[in-house]
Amino acid sequence: MLRFENVFFYRESANTISEVSFDLREGEFAALIGENGAGKSTLCRLCNGLLKPASGRVTVCGHDTATVSTSRIARDTGFLFQNPDMQLCQNTVYGEIMFGLEYALSDPEERKRRTGEILELFSLDGGRDPFSMSRGERQHVALASILACKPRLLILDEPTTGLDYRECVTIMGIISRLHSDGTTILMVSHDMEVVADFAVRALVLSKGRLIADGPVRQIMKDKKVLDEASLLPPQIPALAMLIGGDFSDVLTADEMAETAERAVRQKGARK
Amino acid sequence: MKGFFGYNPGNSILHRLNPLTKIVISIGLCLSCFLTRSHIVILAVIAFNLLLSASAVGLKRSLKMLLSLVKFSAVLFVVQVFFVKQGNVLLRLPPGVIYITDKGVLFSLLFALRLIAAAMPLSAMLSVTRISDISNVFVRSLRIPYKYAFVITTAIRFIPLFSEEMTNIMEAQTARGVQFDTKNFLKKIRLLLPLCVPLLISSVRKIEGGAISAELRGFNLRKRTSGYKTYPFGWSDAAALAVCGLIVALTVFV
Repeated sequence: MLRFENVFFYRESANTISEVSFDLREGEFAALIGENGAGKSTLCRLCNGLLKPASGRVTVCGHDTATVSTSRIARDTGFLFQNPDMQLCQNTVYGEIMFGLEYALSDPEERKRRTGEILELFSLDGGRDPFSMSRGERQHVALASILACKPRLLILDEPTTGLDYRECVTIMGIISRLHSDGTTILMVSHDMEVVADFAVRALVLSKGRLIADGPVRQIMKDKKVLDEASLLPPQIPALAMLIGGDFSDVLTADEMAETAERAVRQKGARK
Repeated sequence: MKGFFGYNPGNSILHRLNPLTKIVISIGLCLSCFLTRSHIVILAVIAFNLLLSASAVGLKRSLKMLLSLVKFSAVLFVVQVFFVKQGNVLLRLPPGVIYITDKGVLFSLLFALRLIAAAMPLSAMLSVTRISDISNVFVRSLRIPYKYAFVITTAIRFIPLFSEEMTNIMEAQTARGVQFDTKNFLKKIRLLLPLCVPLLISSVRKIEGGAISAELRGFNLRKRTSGYKTYPFGWSDAAALAVCGLIVALTVFV
């Protein structure tokens, strides 16, 4: 679905990416993590051809980003920017969702039908003005307009930044459902709790280099990698590592509760 | 803040000059190209501007700046050349109503060269002077009230920010499938129109945020003597002004 082969990129205004290679298979949910300035957003822009590699090759949905235009790649790849205001340009939510579809679908009836579906799925009022909505709602509309085009690969550049807990859970719930339906997801996030709760694979970037690539469960426990990338594990895995024993493999709050309950029962049975 | 209006840090002679001297020199050089009708003199002024800019920010950046100005001027040249009807016809385009004359070419060339020669010193001045220094010198030396000086310098400061914002918006729209990567210039212009809305909204939000934060930091309390920086006038400033005066005089008399 997405392949980086020895990619090198340098520009004065963007962070350097050097010798990055990885392969994202269809249906995967990967999180791209790293400190500020590690090159995460630059790497995302390399994924859909907004930036072209200086050397190496980026292939997305079978297209080489060096030769195929970004607008063509956009038919298969959705890109949610950190700031939804960059994407929104229509006076109504309905118009906003239709705007993206105009480039993806030629049949006007199909566009209307798809817009109706998305409005219902996201519980959005099509007549509202996106610019008078809250930050979370605008992010919601931006995501809805991308998903209307049914991308095979979804790139999310910090989708939960600036959102409150409820908005964050709503957005991540939608993304999680998409992943269950088979959409491949690459998500940049600083929120390690979100990464631990939703992503399956983690790519760790530090100073433009990919220093680790593996299951989130494994990366969250790798102190050396986390230290090198200036990252802190979420509270639950950090606590689990401190307790050790049966808890050492715990990643989420639910797992922590289950393991704790099991441990208490075992202790009670021994007494 | 790089680009056409961005400051480039350095320690060259131009960087060390009094900001007011730099402003006067840039205005003087701008004026010089309007005081002459000679193409050669304007070309000489452009060469001098390039030399000046290269000595402060390097030849590569100066040439880049010149190239972008040449491109812009070339478009204006093409537009202008069809509007001057006096002189001998050099080229007649079908169906015959549109034609290019020798006077039209010379006038449009003068127009384009003047644009390059006038914009270069302004860009060079901004690349060797901090915006805050320009604002301070307006208040201290020219006694302009701080809020007006702030308006002038903020307008300059916002140009590269808007340009960056526009690039980000265009990237976001390209990622949605809008064909900004098309080679067709007219199509690109047509696609740009709906983007005025997000640009305007984000600009207004940015300005509102900036105004609130300025108020919170005591914007209205600032007086002429509030700044701690001083801008002494030295021999190098006098020499630079003399050279500038000489160039302006030469363009008048040559």
